[in-house]
Amino acid sequence: MNSLTLAIRQEAARLLEEKIVDVVIGFEAGTLPLKAQPAFITRKEEAEKLVFNGFCQNNLAAYLTRFPKEKRLGIICRGCESRAVRALVIEHQHDRDKLYLIGVPCTGIIDWRKIERRVGENTLQAREEGDEVIVTTRDGEHRFRRADVLHDSCARCLHPNPVGADIVLGDPLPEGDPERAWAPVLEFEALPPEERYAYFVQETGRCIRCYACREACPMCYCTECFVDHTAPRWTESMITPGGTQAWHIVRAFHQAGRCVSCGACERACPMDIKMTYLVDKLSYDMMQQYGFEVGASDEKQPPFAAFTLDDRNRFVR
Amino acid sequence: MYKILPKADLPRLIEKWMEQATVYAPVRQGDFTKFEPLSDPAQADLYYAANTRYPPKSLFLPQSEVMFRVKGSEFEPTGDEVSSRVVLGIHACDTRALQLLDGVFVDRDYQDPYWARKREQTTLVVLGCANPCETCFCTSVGSGPFDKRGADVMLIDLGNEYVADVRSEKGQVLFDHLPDASQEQIDASRQVQAAAAAKMKKPFETEGLKDKLYNLFESGFWATIQQSCLGCGVCTFLCPTCYCFDIVDEVQRNERVRNWDTCMFRIYSQEASGHNPRPTNTERTRQRIMHKYAYFVDLFNEIGCTGCGRCVRYCPVNLDIRQIIRSAQAWEES
Ligand code: SF4
Ligand code: SF4
Ligand code: SF4
Ligand code: SF4
Ligand code: SF4
Repeated sequence: MNSLTLAIRQEAARLLEEKIVDVVIGFEAGTLPLKAQPAFITRKEEAEKLVFNGFCQNNLAAYLTRFPKEKRLGIICRGCESRAVRALVIEHQHDRDKLYLIGVPCTGIIDWRKIERRVGENTLQAREEGDEVIVTTRDGEHRFRRADVLHDSCARCLHPNPVGADIVLGDPLPEGDPERAWAPVLEFEALPPEERYAYFVQETGRCIRCYACREACPMCYCTECFVDHTAPRWTESMITPGGTQAWHIVRAFHQAGRCVSCGACERACPMDIKMTYLVDKLSYDMMQQYGFEVGASDEKQPPFAAFTLDDRNRFVR
Repeated sequence: MYKILPKADLPRLIEKWMEQATVYAPVRQGDFTKFEPLSDPAQADLYYAANTRYPPKSLFLPQSEVMFRVKGSEFEPTGDEVSSRVVLGIHACDTRALQLLDGVFVDRDYQDPYWARKREQTTLVVLGCANPCETCFCTSVGSGPFDKRGADVMLIDLGNEYVADVRSEKGQVLFDHLPDASQEQIDASRQVQAAAAAKMKKPFETEGLKDKLYNLFESGFWATIQQSCLGCGVCTFLCPTCYCFDIVDEVQRNERVRNWDTCMFRIYSQEASGHNPRPTNTERTRQRIMHKYAYFVDLFNEIGCTGCGRCVRYCPVNLDIRQIIRSAQAWEES
């Protein structure tokens, strides 16, 4: 067991024992070697179940809006989770004083798809050892450099360190490289429009509208999503381009200035559809045009959600 | 009737079938596999994934299907265009699923013509699983990697050739001209089948399961196990036995369509009044599990899960149906 897991268990047990929170949201060992499961710990003895490693692939902040506001939540927060929590607090989704953030500097999530692409479907065991991931399959042991099998969003992560945490376990990590973070956005932008459109068509063409991307996203919490609205209906109901492309475009736009670049949407997708290239572009524009980065401050509202009485534009008055 | 088919001859055989029928087989796009109509036998990839990601139920119940079109004041039927089809490389679990769904769509009081027409037009050339996947559990739910029910032909992989166990007239049409398998080859194929089934683990016991689930209906069990569930459509859309659909009038297209729907969506059970009889994920998770492991058993005397493992592999939070059933069996009210 790694020392981080141990520290998380101790802190979770303390929070429950001292009745600081009602539930600690973390991860426990999964049933598949390359995956962990979200865990909801309410009794201090159960804190022993908690684990923390690179197989913890969900964004736990997605559960915040699933609890009533009076619940006091302890949440294990990596960089992206902590920024999502901040954004959610700004959007009045929970009271900050009812949250206890257990911050964990993050070395990135291992992409099980990248591993399976190399070793096939039948993994028997998997573990991390320093900078390596060691996977046992029916035909023996395979070793990977962690950096080669990180999820794309994690490989270009800008902020691995949690912000605004109540406690930070583990040592701080160097911040990410902006050039590396935005390179895919700039590369995609540089493509001719037809190629960009072809890529969009190809990716959305596989969409089965299961909405796992929405449900896994901490920032998608509308009680009624626009795609579920029936009177009037905003998209075609089918898996036609009028349905799937509309879903992908509007979903992305609703994330402008809100997406924390965690990649949870892509990891959840059963059809391996790429979609962070859309939201990352919007985050890039938010930085360039409004100087806004989600989670950077405790108060600043996302530009598209904010208004002030002295706005230059008349329509808000 | 047992025939022998050297693997090297398969492309030629597919080509021959293609003269008479549309041949569907698993086709790979990146890491992703789906049954697609072949334009070239080389597109078929029978071994990349144990089970195709996208379930072959879609060949009979497409995710979005036009039921009819409206032209002025006339209805224009659709679906008659389905012609003869061969589905090659479907596995026993997915074949079993089609058979279970026949119970839903054709064997009872009403007939679903859309489903029935496609089933009649299709010959299933099943590929038995000599190497079942770690997440498969067909042997635990009343089936097995070489379950022949529903197969027109069952292929058994002997390494360099297939033994084809031809089981129906439709299957005969496709395999008649091939040489008969020798007794030795038939014996070898039996060994492959027994060995495959023996390799599989048993993740849970089904003895007394249905009654146990009914007893748990009002229990806190469901609220406990569903906590991590996101309420997405992955486990049901990919499931070969889930068949729920929603009928929508696409007015702008002048079409009535039906789309896959799922009991895991909040709006699935949302009523026009705003009332929702399954208000939370707890009731919805209970519905999914009970439908497969209790209601289906009541209706058809069979478990409505074929153990294909898709929901196990692709649930974004690793909420594993095998673990749910195990926990249900072990659950004691406190
Ligand atoms: S849109 Fe995707 S990357 Fe952005 S916050 Fe949501 S899950 Fe994370
Ligand atoms: S998770 Fe993937 S398949 Fe499902 S709705 Fe999102 S993009 Fe489409
Ligand atoms: S796939 Fe997993 S998260 Fe999605 S509805 Fe099914 S059990 Fe819940
Ligand atoms: S419930 Fe899961 S394992 Fe069972 S048939 Fe459906 S997808 Fe396959
Ligand atoms: S009710 Fe749910 S579990 Fe049953 S067939 Fe429909 S979607 Fe599948």
